[in-house]
Amino acid sequence: MTTADQFNVHYLKKHYAKRQVLDEVTFSLQAGQTHLLSGDNGAGKTTLLRILAGLEKPDSIQIDLGMGPLNWRHVKKTLQQHALYLHQHPYMFDGTVSYNLGYAIGVKLTKQERQRQIDKALEWADLKQLSQAPAKSLSGGEKQRVSLARAWLKRPSILLLDEPTSNLDQESRHRTLSLLEAFKSDGTAMLLASHDPMHFPSLIDQHLRLDQGKLIRIDDQNPIEFDQTHPNFRSTA
Amino acid sequence: MPESLPQPNTDHMDSLTTTTLAALELLFSGNPELWEIIAISFRVSGVAILVASPPALLVAFILAYYQFPGRRLLISINSTLLSVPAVVVGLTLFILLSRQGPLGEWKLLFTQTAMVLGQIALAFPILVAMGHSALQACDRRAWETARTLGATPLRALITIMREARFGLMAALLAAFGRIIAEVGASMMLGGNILHYTRNIPTAIALESSKGEFAQGIALGLVLLILAFTLNAFLQHFQGKGQPA
Ligand SMILES: Nc1ncnc2c1ncn2[C@@H]1O[C@H](COP(=O)(O)OP(=O)(O)O)[C@@H](O)[C@H]1O
Ligand SMILES: [Mg+2]
Repeated sequence: MTTADQFNVHYLKKHYAKRQVLDEVTFSLQAGQTHLLSGDNGAGKTTLLRILAGLEKPDSIQIDLGMGPLNWRHVKKTLQQHALYLHQHPYMFDGTVSYNLGYAIGVKLTKQERQRQIDKALEWADLKQLSQAPAKSLSGGEKQRVSLARAWLKRPSILLLDEPTSNLDQESRHRTLSLLEAFKSDGTAMLLASHDPMHFPSLIDQHLRLDQGKLIRIDDQNPIEFDQTHPNFRSTA
Repeated sequence: MPESLPQPNTDHMDSLTTTTLAALELLFSGNPELWEIIAISFRVSGVAILVASPPALLVAFILAYYQFPGRRLLISINSTLLSVPAVVVGLTLFILLSRQGPLGEWKLLFTQTAMVLGQIALAFPILVAMGHSALQACDRRAWETARTLGATPLRALITIMREARFGLMAALLAAFGRIIAEVGASMMLGGNILHYTRNIPTAIALESSKGEFAQGIALGLVLLILAFTLNAFLQHFQGKGQPA
């Protein structure tokens, strides 16, 4: 996490043309906790995750870092350091599964150390048999596992998952779920977008729902209020 | 056969056959003058591609990945530059480099450097246009995946170039094929000086008019073989570059 084990986001706003996709969204993520992000198609789930990964620029955002005011460039850098976004359809680089895993490892390591880490990740996601397979030719479920193993090598503090099981069969969904459990017990904070909460019964700690640009906590049914007196700053992009 | 019947006139045939044989002999006997001309061509065009590629591919990347005011205008200007005749490019640089021109002090006219400059100007728009479409065709998730996995922008750029390598190779080959065979700019900027700026196309154009057909045919054959090879590679790369 950034400072403590909590990551707070306030005043997150984003619009496209005339549509306010995210309207003063406020929430917190905690280490080792998984938040489900539900919402209809087009509710803004993908947009929210991409902003948190630093891949998309919000109209405004404020995050707790315990430092002075930050412009978007700094916020983006911080987000990119801590958060990792997994596309709904994972992208495989042209090369073997091992190559794809190696991509997530720092370029400064020795060859042996790199290989050791790749082997660990192959084991972690049960991909040993596929280590030399061309990644682009894998099935959807296998790509999902490569993408999770690649993320696991980065050890992000926040994992942003965009409908990770929506295109998978029962078996692959099950395997994905157990890998996500492993992330969770490692202390990773997860925000998981899905329009079907039923897929993740054991994983979810809190349920957030995006509706008309507002983020609602499902347990209390009220939009989360942001404490206006919060000592932090505001960053306008 | 009765002596009175007219014999078919084989003079033209004979001279073409003899000249072609002479051309092959020049080529395969390693005629130094001929091979020097070929070497100059490859050196000048090779340097031009080496110098032009990095900035051209950077422009191609910016056009493919960033939205900014004037982007569309830049693309149209580049498309226009694609179809500017080589002699016009040659003329423009000639004026700039000529003794009275703004860059006259550099004393570059009729040097290999001037030829390289002309070929850079010809290659640049091809590299930008083909590089742009190769990078545009590359999946946007490639860039995003690289970045979210912690790659610096430079590493992510190298990654998407690797993903688009077949299309980019095709761009390099097409540009090389265009500049090594063009005569207008090389002639105006190089001046066809033997041992120095005489390259394949200027030798063919100027020496053939002096009756040096054997050399012209030999050099023409080199260009033909080169065109064939480049095209074979181009097809290969373009085939691989198609999205699956
Ligand atoms: N790049 C974009 N340009 C314009 N509109 C966009 C863009 N990305 C998303 N939108 C719009 O924003 C809304 C939210 O999209 P998205 O975040 O993908 O929703 P979800 O993932 O919940 O289905 C949709 O109405 C979508 O059309
Ligand atoms: Mg979505």
